[in-house]
Amino acid sequence: MNAVEALVAQIQGLSGSVADLSHLHNLLKQADDSLLNESTRLLPFLDQLDPSKHSLGYLFILRACSSGPISKEQAGELVLIFSRFISSCAAEQIRLAPEKFISVCKRFKDQVMLLEAPLRGVGPMLTAVRKLQSSSEHLTALHPDFLQLALLAKCYKTGLSVLEDDIFEVDQPRDLFLYCYYGGMICIGQKCYKKALELLHNAVTAPMSTVNAIAVEAYKKYVLISLILNGQFSSSLPKYSSSVAQRNLKNLCQPYIELATSYSSGKISELETFVQTNEEKFESDNNLGLVKQVVSSMYKRNIQRLTQTYLTLSLQDIANTVQLNSSKEAEIHVLQMIQDGEIYATINQKDGMVRFLEDPEQYKTCEMIEHIDSSIQRIMVLSNKLTAMDEHMSCDPLYLAKAGRERQRYDFDDFDTVPQRFNI
Amino acid sequence: MDFSRLQEALASKSYAKVATICDGLMLQVAAEGVAFQDEWPYAIHLLGHIYADDINSARFLWKSIPSAIKEAQQEVVAAWRIGQRLWTRDYAGVYEAIHGFSWNPEVQGLVAAFAVLYTKRMFQLLLSAYSTISIQDTALFLGMNEDDTMNYVVQQGWTLDPSSGMLTVKKQAVVSEQKLDPSKLQRLTEYVFLLEH
Repeated sequence: MNAVEALVAQIQGLSGSVADLSHLHNLLKQADDSLLNESTRLLPFLDQLDPSKHSLGYLFILRACSSGPISKEQAGELVLIFSRFISSCAAEQIRLAPEKFISVCKRFKDQVMLLEAPLRGVGPMLTAVRKLQSSSEHLTALHPDFLQLALLAKCYKTGLSVLEDDIFEVDQPRDLFLYCYYGGMICIGQKCYKKALELLHNAVTAPMSTVNAIAVEAYKKYVLISLILNGQFSSSLPKYSSSVAQRNLKNLCQPYIELATSYSSGKISELETFVQTNEEKFESDNNLGLVKQVVSSMYKRNIQRLTQTYLTLSLQDIANTVQLNSSKEAEIHVLQMIQDGEIYATINQKDGMVRFLEDPEQYKTCEMIEHIDSSIQRIMVLSNKLTAMDEHMSCDPLYLAKAGRERQRYDFDDFDTVPQRFNI
Repeated sequence: MDFSRLQEALASKSYAKVATICDGLMLQVAAEGVAFQDEWPYAIHLLGHIYADDINSARFLWKSIPSAIKEAQQEVVAAWRIGQRLWTRDYAGVYEAIHGFSWNPEVQGLVAAFAVLYTKRMFQLLLSAYSTISIQDTALFLGMNEDDTMNYVVQQGWTLDPSSGMLTVKKQAVVSEQKLDPSKLQRLTEYVFLLEH
């Protein structure tokens, strides 16, 4: 035990300057094995440390404490220690040992789940993500855990806050898949279908060498959200997606592809029959709710289609064409679509007519110019990033060795600054 | 639990902040492991989301409320009834839900403010969606009796066609800020110049 006491004293003494901290980090790494052996007796020592000042040392001891199996009773006590540590620790200290911090936070999540209280983890996990991130562009290993807790605790709005950042840096592929999948579900819950589609699209088209279950589930939701948002679904994935995804995802999600085919017929009764016969499949995937939204989106789609053909149309005609029961029902549908900004129209109750209008946006307001300007700025930043990444890759010895080996002869292409062939 | 910021927001009628304050506070007390559910002002929290026009969040909050509380606190159920009508777009039903419950004094202000806001939202909707509409329907949308409705819309320049009982909607010209910062225009011009050469 003396060794631990000595270590605690060193933590207290060496948590000040950057040089001291790196020395302390080495000491802690050396002591890590012995700490793990003492794991059951370490808890009282935490009281002698201040999590905000001695964050690095606190982290190592906390990690060792929680390494063994934890009962439900212990979890109740530990969860509080964890969440206070996460909220008060110094970001620059814990970033010296990111793996340890991630492992502590994952333990924290496990215990919150064990206690069946996901809400207790949402706030601390968000803090943990922010402290671990080197910049808002960095996807940490904790992002998926945070989103999962937010989903379970039904804190969808809080979950949205991390989804607004553009991600450019990823540590592990699995993090990205889960981030996109959970993120997509959060956006679906908040009815931000555009953002949801973008996230699911990223999950489906991300590089993969073998099919994974996350991508398959993401693909199912991707089909449904495409139908709800765009009214159509193209089963061919973009060229840059992995060949594994292009070859397999479709076959693994057959009912969804058939649903999209049935949708494209535009006949509501056909679609309803299809959904009824396949209800169990959708239900077991937990997608029945979304499937029902797909069905009701078809009325909207059919009404939208009418706006492309007619300038004015009676409510009764709308009801007949899109198979609604009465002109009143048609009026309510049109009204809701106007409210949601999905069509531009005015209803004339006196004559029972609807007049379809053009989009009133004239692209000359200040906000619009502001919007165009900021979009151009973002694209410019993105383009610079792409160029930088491309240059970085063409300097990578590993890549050059591979590209060189596959190229038999030297020809003009070799003098290009950018390699022409990518074998990813 | 420290509700002082919430009290402050309610006292200063900053109702738009209520939902965010409640969300933050809930995460905070939950992280400390406090069993907050029995004392939580669920009705105010729900109405805060409804006031901010965030029915999705209101719905998820409702789903997370323990069933014992739903049974014990009628006000929470009444608050959600408003949300439910909004969710199903039962435009007139919203007013029934607002007036169908005698709210506690601390909730009363928030509910009343929402009712005013909702009437405004509905008026804007009618303005954008209709060219003519019956008095009866207008009254349902605005939650007033027909006489009050007539007074309200005539003030906004609508006219009544007595033979058909239909109101003609007068569109309001949208005034938007057109003054432009010249540097913005300069920048856009430079972009276009760059792209064309």
